[in-house]
Amino acid sequence: MKEHAQTAVGVNATRVGARSRLLGRVQFAADMRMDGAVTVKALRSDRHHALIVDLDTSAAEKEPGCLAVFTFKDIPGRNRLGIINKDQRLLAEEKVRCVGDPIALVVGETPDAAEAALGKIRIRYQDLPAVFDPEEALRPGAPQIHEEGNLLIRKVVKRGNPEGAFQQADLIVERVYTTPHVEHAYIEPDAGLAYIDGDGTVVVYASTQNPHYDQKDVASLLDLDEDHVRVIQTATGGGFGSKLDMNVQGFVALAAYLLGRPARMVYSREEAFVATAKRHPLKITYKSGAMSDGRLIAADVRIVGDTGAYASYGMAVATRAAVHATGPYEVPNIFIESTFAYTNNPMAGAMRGFGVPQLAFAHESQMDILAGELGLSPLEIRMRNALRIGSTTPTGQQLTASVGIGKCLRAIAPYYEESLRHDQDACSAFSRRGRGLGAMMYGIGNTGMQNPSTAQIELSREGRITLFTGAADIGQGSCTVLRQLAAEVLRLPPERIEMVAADTQRTTSAGATSASRQTYISGNAVLDAAAQLADVLLSEAALIMKVDRNDLVLEDGVVVSRADPEKSVSFERIAKRAHRTGIPLKWDGYFDPETVPLDPETGAGKPYATYAFACHMVEVEVDTSSGEVRVLHVAAAHDVGKAINPDSIRGQINSGVAMGIGFALMEEYHPGATESMKDYHIPTCADVPEVAAIIVEDPEPSGPFGAKGVGEPALIPTAPAIANAIADALGVRTFDLPANLERVLRASTTAKPC
Amino acid sequence: MKTPNGLECNDRVKIAFRVNGKPMELEVRPWQSALDALRDELGLTGAKEGCGIGECGACTIIVDGNAVNSCLMLAPQLDGRSVETIEGLGSGDSLHALQEAFLAHGAVQCGFCTPGVLLSAKALLDRNPRPDRDEIVEALSGNLCRCTGYQQRTSPRKR
Repeated sequence: MKEHAQTAVGVNATRVGARSRLLGRVQFAADMRMDGAVTVKALRSDRHHALIVDLDTSAAEKEPGCLAVFTFKDIPGRNRLGIINKDQRLLAEEKVRCVGDPIALVVGETPDAAEAALGKIRIRYQDLPAVFDPEEALRPGAPQIHEEGNLLIRKVVKRGNPEGAFQQADLIVERVYTTPHVEHAYIEPDAGLAYIDGDGTVVVYASTQNPHYDQKDVASLLDLDEDHVRVIQTATGGGFGSKLDMNVQGFVALAAYLLGRPARMVYSREEAFVATAKRHPLKITYKSGAMSDGRLIAADVRIVGDTGAYASYGMAVATRAAVHATGPYEVPNIFIESTFAYTNNPMAGAMRGFGVPQLAFAHESQMDILAGELGLSPLEIRMRNALRIGSTTPTGQQLTASVGIGKCLRAIAPYYEESLRHDQDACSAFSRRGRGLGAMMYGIGNTGMQNPSTAQIELSREGRITLFTGAADIGQGSCTVLRQLAAEVLRLPPERIEMVAADTQRTTSAGATSASRQTYISGNAVLDAAAQLADVLLSEAALIMKVDRNDLVLEDGVVVSRADPEKSVSFERIAKRAHRTGIPLKWDGYFDPETVPLDPETGAGKPYATYAFACHMVEVEVDTSSGEVRVLHVAAAHDVGKAINPDSIRGQINSGVAMGIGFALMEEYHPGATESMKDYHIPTCADVPEVAAIIVEDPEPSGPFGAKGVGEPALIPTAPAIANAIADALGVRTFDLPANLERVLRASTTAKPC
Repeated sequence: MKTPNGLECNDRVKIAFRVNGKPMELEVRPWQSALDALRDELGLTGAKEGCGIGECGACTIIVDGNAVNSCLMLAPQLDGRSVETIEGLGSGDSLHALQEAFLAHGAVQCGFCTPGVLLSAKALLDRNPRPDRDEIVEALSGNLCRCTGYQQRTSPRKR
């Protein structure tokens, strides 16, 4: 097949489900209706930390239309949830640990009845001392949030001799950076519907990023075997990490199971804000040592993270933040410590980038400060330190291929130089222009642990091909990409392959849609399955056609002879024959990236099989009279290994840039104060300029056709680039995100003259 | 509790309006939103509730030619009006030119905000067939998107 030009990958295949979305016909969970469905609503804590002294549901139960009020006592199985640490309760037991903790579930015939009953629940609390700062939470005598103490994790990565290297450094720069809680703000609030099907299986439809994980936790809550729980992902309106946690799934499953009626729950935006995970706020103390030529020789990075009342993905964020602390640069001597603690703040979990966007803000600010002190251009200092083939990462992993950071920097260079030319004339009494760079590396997949994916391909007796994947497509386009990969192997137009995705009864686990892993990991699993089918098609065709198998190729739904293109056999004929001879018509694919767990003492290991790289350049205009920052131009270069669907990648880059503008300039969630989109602003199209998206392809040998991933990398470099651009414009730097009006205005008071 | 015109919360108000060209009569509650009436009474679930307070634009419909946030409009206010929803854009399985343009430019990802964006865009184009980028940005700035970014909808909108 090698002589074929690629026709299904590297092309903008039509997105799976695009037409039904354009026609408004695709059903999101809140759009589903089922006869007899009841409405589930949750009573949530309005206290940060309190004992539940008394919970009286009797008046609520008497409310007309109220069918039941459930508390933790009604949970048949284990009242624990959590992807890594099982520290969440579906419904609070003796105490609440944060505002928003669910306490009781009301089930009503109608939404109004459920709402009315909710207001009738009487609850008495005894407030407990609360703690909202992770450093305070780790001091002796701090209020204890969980029995096991407030320390979630302390992760160290060390290499070389940082103390010695700092003594030799020509320049040491040490600064403290902070980032806020950030809300995912997917446009579709969480929703789900559950019912009991004919054979007693609890079926849960939900907006989710990981149906196979949901299945496990729902089964454990209800004390059922996993095969008696079926989770089906509905169309999902974005996730960005927050739909990796169990949000509505357990609630609707419990209500349906206990009442035997379909049960529906739709979060309001306010509930989605108060009840779901946030991005971890980090405090990063970053010390860099460099030689006069700009070469980095040492880094000492201390990260303190606030995981809130529950861990969610906190351990993964802490570890990934540590591993990525030095960015896409080679630093031989390092000490990195990442300490995450519980507090009474909202749970923080996975959010696009898992701690790397926060660290990139710090390491990229450090690079510009070093460059300024040493008289180097920001581009030059990055080029001098960029990782390359043969470089060693903080965990001691030697990079052997697909290290595209140098190519990304070179791709951005012309945009950067162009920007240098046209900003001086824009300087006026109340206006300054500046430009900044942000670069990043991002390990694809989970950190230093097995995170396999599986897939199946089936050939029907009629010769039709169906691809089964557990991967949840949440808008990023995994279904489209996986289908293109299968189509490329089978030499078919992608549209000819049926997709079955993210249904625990019909598909096997592909792992979470997180860590930018589905193209690389599930993609390889799909290739594995597709290659087996291709192999059978060729072998069977050789028998039917009585020719040498090496003479045959797959072409547009048939197997054709190279020597005599008139001779061919259809997939249908092969399928019928294979069926008669008892050859299986469904093939399993599997892939688990090659990783080595991190050493608990030193952090040494091979956390990821491959890394994505990127560099963004932004140009901003700062209004020094108001503190308003306008992003004028963005160029974004991403090494994706191989672009399976270039338009999809550009979509990811455009949305990553938009989210990065929000992270840089406006998004801050204040626990207890931020309620909804009225006081939490995300960028609109008026805030986002045209983005020059540049796709760099430095192929990854272990990737499907060389591909890596782009989902999270798309976001990471934007905010650091904006922070650097503001510093360039004003000559004053902001060390705390977001660079909101107040902070920029304050910085503007000491801005450099034109 | 009574509304200022003396209606009880659970009273029903009879309204007559056109939806996607078809005349429609409906009994709605005085405080029910236009969005809930479309979704719950008529089963037109293409308009979405993203925030309920007019910030996100996922509920956008066209009323008498203007794009409005249907979560902020009361159902009784639909009386006598002409309403366009996403279900009326395109016919059968064939796409409206605007939908074709979105498809061609990769402007649809998760699809939750898509119906609202399409209707804001249609209201603009019905009034101004050749908008410049600033006019497009102004017309679409009330439609938030988190998955796709904005470029695919603000720049290539050329029919």
